[in-house]
Amino acid sequence: MSDDTLTIAGAPANGFLRRLDPSMVLWIVMIALLIFLVASPTVRLLISSFQEAETGRLTLENYRDAYFNWRHLAALGNSLELGVGVAILAGLFGVPIAWAISRTDMPLKGFVRIMVLGAFITPPYLGAIGWILLAGPNSGWLNKLWVALTGQAHGIFNVYSMPGLILVVAVTSFPYVFVFTNSALDLVSSEMEDAAQVLGAGKLRTVFRITLPLVFPAILGGLIISFLEAIALFGAPALIGLPARFNVVATQLWQFFEYPVRVEMAAAFAIPLLVITVLMFWLQRRILGRKGYAAVTGKGGERRMIALGAWRWVMLGYALFVCALSVMLPMTVLLQAAFAKAWGRGFSLDNLTLANFHYLLFEQTQAQSTIINTFVYAGATAFLAIALSLAIAYVVSRKLVPWSNVLAFLCVAPFVIPGIVLAIGFYAAYAPPPLALYGTGTILVLAFTTRFLPIAYTSSAASMRSINPEMEDAVRILGGGRLLAIRRVLAPLLKKSLAGAWILVFIPAARELSAAIFLVGPNSRVISVMLFDLSEEGNFEVLAALGTILLVVTLIIAAVGFRIIGRDFMLRRSTS
Amino acid sequence: MTDKLALSRRDVLARGSALALGLGAGAAFAPGLACAAEMTAGEKELYEAAKKEGELTWYTAHSDDVTAQALGRKFEQVYPGIKVSVVRTTAQVAFQRVSQELKAGAMQVDVFSSTDIGHYVYLKDKKLLEKFVPENAAKVLDIYKGYDPDGFYYVTSAGLIGMSYNTSKVKAAEVPADWTGLLDAKWKDHIALGHPAFSGYVGTWVVTLRKMYGWDFFDKLAKNNPRVGRSINDTVTLLNSGECTIAGTAPNGTTGLSIQKGNPLAMIYPTDGTVLILAPSGIMKGVRHPSAARLFMEFLLSVDASQIWVDHFNESIRPEVSPPPGVKSAKDVKTIRPSVEEITKGIPEVIKQWRDVFGV
Repeated sequence: MSDDTLTIAGAPANGFLRRLDPSMVLWIVMIALLIFLVASPTVRLLISSFQEAETGRLTLENYRDAYFNWRHLAALGNSLELGVGVAILAGLFGVPIAWAISRTDMPLKGFVRIMVLGAFITPPYLGAIGWILLAGPNSGWLNKLWVALTGQAHGIFNVYSMPGLILVVAVTSFPYVFVFTNSALDLVSSEMEDAAQVLGAGKLRTVFRITLPLVFPAILGGLIISFLEAIALFGAPALIGLPARFNVVATQLWQFFEYPVRVEMAAAFAIPLLVITVLMFWLQRRILGRKGYAAVTGKGGERRMIALGAWRWVMLGYALFVCALSVMLPMTVLLQAAFAKAWGRGFSLDNLTLANFHYLLFEQTQAQSTIINTFVYAGATAFLAIALSLAIAYVVSRKLVPWSNVLAFLCVAPFVIPGIVLAIGFYAAYAPPPLALYGTGTILVLAFTTRFLPIAYTSSAASMRSINPEMEDAVRILGGGRLLAIRRVLAPLLKKSLAGAWILVFIPAARELSAAIFLVGPNSRVISVMLFDLSEEGNFEVLAALGTILLVVTLIIAAVGFRIIGRDFMLRRSTS
Repeated sequence: MTDKLALSRRDVLARGSALALGLGAGAAFAPGLACAAEMTAGEKELYEAAKKEGELTWYTAHSDDVTAQALGRKFEQVYPGIKVSVVRTTAQVAFQRVSQELKAGAMQVDVFSSTDIGHYVYLKDKKLLEKFVPENAAKVLDIYKGYDPDGFYYVTSAGLIGMSYNTSKVKAAEVPADWTGLLDAKWKDHIALGHPAFSGYVGTWVVTLRKMYGWDFFDKLAKNNPRVGRSINDTVTLLNSGECTIAGTAPNGTTGLSIQKGNPLAMIYPTDGTVLILAPSGIMKGVRHPSAARLFMEFLLSVDASQIWVDHFNESIRPEVSPPPGVKSAKDVKTIRPSVEEITKGIPEVIKQWRDVFGV
């Protein structure tokens, strides 16, 4: 009797379990992880912005304290000025070069491309250090050169100013505009341009009335990314803003972490960054929504390069000028400083030394582990972000669960959360018990994963779309489970594009500063934070040496990766 | 050598409390006893316990990175088997990280060495410091003894703040004799300063000068448009590079090191007084490496540590170690120093005032 009841009770459960694909468990875990990574810290940030520090009671005081202060408001204004300035300058740098490479017969395209890649890999704070050495008002190389050439008493460049900061940030963020614009231009066929010319438009007029408007969505996307990057940046403003005597939102947020730590006030002050970001994307949709850009069909007719004649040298000159500002000049002085006894003594043999590298690698108690941490965390971040986004992309594309679009949204949502804001959310949510992750490598990897999840997801979703489900279906019809289908069919097919995505996540994760600054502990230090700590003393030789190590290792790993997958950093085939 | 060794081991054995440990340690660590031979019984006991912990983390603002790392390496050499992670930042950044750890309930630091005495007053008040009386605490120079009568923190280093100038750009005859000389309009755009919201040295300097000349001094100083960095050590870089010609906050130690390297700098010891900083260290409550932390406190108060401080142009806190000839130390110049209460109360005030005047 009792046996019978057991069987009856057990049967449906067994049946349910049998129907439940074992992979479902994995999906549920992935989804839980996504909520843990994205939703929870953001919600926590919002809640704590309304909480009293000690009691947790609801209050508006954080907002009052954060905004009823002229210095805090000035910081907000400065951030906007910085963002707009950077977006404009990045557009002026990125669009012409993208056009020249995609549409004209400008010489030395390969070299310019490599330089843009260099600018893409250079962290803004390293660029800032390079520019401090170049354009320090009295000691900068450019100013010394100016004084030597003109015989005047003072130099003309001052990096410690808002224009200085805008330039420093723009030269490292114009590659976004470049990449977006260039990719779009590559898809536009020459037919429309031909039509314009047949109707009597000149070359310039064609460019400004036909070609560029056609890729306007891409340009706008690039400008928005540059703007958002700029307002969320912490390192470069900290290095340049302080001596120039102004704060931006990110450096002001950092001040809220001074004793006594006011996470709640920081949360309240971080909200505008979030709002501005969301607003930007909304605006982009509004602007683009009303017009059709169907000319970019992706099919592309014939594309011919525009012959610029003598002007191609002018174009090359401009491209080289931008490359000089972004890579050649700052890298030259950084390398000089890294191998110099004292950078101010200039380029001479008796000033050459390996002592800075020796100091870092053998005398400093932390540098070795810091360097290892950096690349281990970046690697782990890339794996985690891709595993997670691939799983989600799979769920979404095969519609395995209801509301799968919510998952897709959560994956790209971190895009609108500036790194420093994300770090505050993570600190509020996961630093204290029960998880008590503060100072561990885990919290850094989790925060980095969240931060770069959109890159991984965009990539994964795109490759997932390219694969017809029929192939997996074949496996399943033949009796294989879903996981087998993924392991033996999907994974091999996606290998190359996943490797590309891995590199795209790895590069920014290796240099990330703003998401790390509030989460890092003495045993989980990364190069970016160590650079920031060392920069307090202004010891540029050691700083430059550490920056060189970061860049060289990143470049090697990226180069090996690109070689393996046979594509360059924009994931275009290197043969083309 | 063996004689001494045997003696010390007998010494350990003689103390009942250390019996078991001493025996075990004597057997287990016999190979590495070369320097253990000079250890006192208590020190040895600590060392054995610390070795089991294997490591410690030291947040320090007492010096530049080079000196801090040298101290860490020396400790590792004197006490093999214990690794020190030396994290050098400015005092307020170190304290910011300690506060974050406290708030998150995840203590990472073991020994905390700030240059803002107010931090210790606060931490002691909140019962966040561990009481520990190092054996070496009684062996330091009198001036450094008994800073906290209750034994929660100890002065483990000291340094001077004067002014300095780039000798290739400024003639010795032109430099100011006292602090008010910084207000002369001829230094406009050429003065380097640290920041009181970062550096404990600079914070104490601002408190001292505010006491001597009133806040008015800083209103006038701001008119000379000084270059404000973060760490006090930053002023050395600014002078070396020629970015500035005169430093209003010049650390005797880092400046001395830089002169030794051949940079064209010279110190000014103002006639109205060079600011003397006494910088304490303490062990945080509930740290993960309590024994290693105690051993490190002993080390910071040891002759070995003072020797390193002196080699890096800072003050010795032990009578056994004297500065090399020709290097000025606190006893050669007129020094000034605010009281603990003045600093504790003053630094948060001057940070606010500073931000109002200098904008950051």
